[in-house]
Amino acid sequence: MTIALFSGSIDKLTGASIILAGAAADDMDVEIYVLMQGARAFLKDVAGDPEKLGMAENPELKEEFLASLERLKVMPWIEFFREAKELADVKIYVCGLAGKMWGGEEVSDFVDLVDDIVGIGECITSLEESDIHLFI
Amino acid sequence: MDQEELKNLVVNKSVDARAVACPGPLLAAKKAVRELESGQLMEIMSADSATKRDVPKWAQKKGHEYLGTVEESGFFRIYMKVK
Repeated sequence: MTIALFSGSIDKLTGASIILAGAAADDMDVEIYVLMQGARAFLKDVAGDPEKLGMAENPELKEEFLASLERLKVMPWIEFFREAKELADVKIYVCGLAGKMWGGEEVSDFVDLVDDIVGIGECITSLEESDIHLFI
Repeated sequence: MDQEELKNLVVNKSVDARAVACPGPLLAAKKAVRELESGQLMEIMSADSATKRDVPKWAQKKGHEYLGTVEESGFFRIYMKVK
């Protein structure tokens, strides 16, 4: 599976993380290419703080969304990503341009889950070679 | 196996995932299986209704033997034998 993760909003990241969890439970190899808005969400000082992320749909209901996640004891999206990496072969790459847009120049600017910073060519190759492609 | 047989099973590992929603129980089952050997028995407890179908399907897909589900008050127990 290859996921082109464009979104950096809490609702779409949560959705992506649940899909990733399912893929990991299925022992799928997954490559995630973090693009544009997604790159911001993976910055060290953003990833663990839902207050720093917007909500793509029904933004006025963000507090309700977060409260529901807590009530249902759903792990934060970044923790699902972490678990998936522990359970399966999951690689997370940040697009170089996307990273730079948000001040992320090096891998160390992002959370430790990020494996490397790459260009769009690698993303396209991964998409070509994958059985399942998702754009989130 | 019937309900009585399932209730009387002695499992090698019991996973309590009642406090988490999907996909928490599935991930918990996945992690627990790694700690077991072939032929050992596992029980997953969950209160999440989607898990009732999710975990048995996942177990069968991965080659484990789904033995059955026991309903309790407010939650259920899924039993499986590791391949």
